[in-house]
Amino acid sequence: MTPNRGAEQPVWDLPIRLFHWLLAALIGFSWWSVKNDHTDWHIWSGCAILTLLVFRLLWGFVGSSTSRFSSFVRGPRSVIAYLKGRWSGVGHTPLGALSVLALLFAVSVQVSLGLISEDEDGIYMGPLARLVSTDTSDTARGIHEEWFETVIVGLIILHVAAIIFYRLRGKHLTKPMITGRAPLEPGAEPMRPGKWWVALICLAVSIGIVRWVIAGAPPFS
Amino acid sequence: MRFVLFAAASACVILSACGGSETSQANNAQANIDNDASPPAEANSTGNAMVMLAAPPTRAQALKVMHDRHEAMEGLGKAMKTLHRALDSSPADINAVRAQTSIMASTAAKIPGMFPGGTGPDVGKTRAKAEIWKQPELFVQKSKDYLAAAQAIDAAARAGDLTKVMMLHDRVDKACKACHDPFRAPKS
Repeated sequence: MTPNRGAEQPVWDLPIRLFHWLLAALIGFSWWSVKNDHTDWHIWSGCAILTLLVFRLLWGFVGSSTSRFSSFVRGPRSVIAYLKGRWSGVGHTPLGALSVLALLFAVSVQVSLGLISEDEDGIYMGPLARLVSTDTSDTARGIHEEWFETVIVGLIILHVAAIIFYRLRGKHLTKPMITGRAPLEPGAEPMRPGKWWVALICLAVSIGIVRWVIAGAPPFS
Repeated sequence: MRFVLFAAASACVILSACGGSETSQANNAQANIDNDASPPAEANSTGNAMVMLAAPPTRAQALKVMHDRHEAMEGLGKAMKTLHRALDSSPADINAVRAQTSIMASTAAKIPGMFPGGTGPDVGKTRAKAEIWKQPELFVQKSKDYLAAAQAIDAAARAGDLTKVMMLHDRVDKACKACHDPFRAPKS
């Protein structure tokens, strides 16, 4: 058990926490809606997830210190050092960063496939399905289903298992993702927050990009 | 916390799924009661059997019916998808539109006949739910709604009235879904 004696300090800003919980909720909702004949809701949910992804990408360059890719994307040497217990810092650990990247990548693939998919009855089309042939669209849907059932579900299980593993070793990960604060080792530098108006600009840009995708992309077909 | 969320979500889904099937069974029971209670001659107990064709005599024949049905439905889906794209191309390809609406109207006419008794999930692999044969009047009614929609869009396409085709498109989509939601099982 690692004693967490330090005072609670900010580690995750509000945009990151909202991103995290909305993504979790929307992935659950996407799964439920498509399994219950609400394909239209499923497509809207996917568009909302795309908005979140674009926002997260932008916030990863201009957001708070712990949200920036430059602060947590590390090479294998850092991962090994972390596994040997030689790492101290705030935010994603070098190993956790790999998990973050894998999840972001997997969800991006999932959304991209969904954009060009159509349902099996030819009633619903993803916003960009018109740009590809019927066969491509059907193939994309097939991979979209497989990718969820294997890669996405696999990563979700791994994610939850890791949280339980850390919890058993005395480290709480869920509460900081809700409150944004965690006890830090003495001397560790807390999160430097981003600017709220920058977050709003990122949100506006991501909504704009998704509106453009919903319109059918390039020349608004 | 995550676990709780997932567990709660799963529980909700399971509960809602159970609720759904119970409700449909309850409706079905209600429909039977209504049928038994209401005097009109066609609504007696033999009325149900008359709506659907009799079971094929052998299992091989039943499986053949199920296979052909699958192919026909797949062809219908393909026609719907091709229709979408034909309507989207500018200018819309009227010949492609006509070809698809013609497939839709002719397949729609065959639908109730493609579901004789003894071709349900207890016989072989099919997504046709047993509810089809428990609620034959409702099933036949839904297939008639689809037939009417498919014939209307086909007539509009043959008349070259693209505006009307586009208008009817939504009705066709809704008619497909109105029958699939209660009578087709999800992919396993």
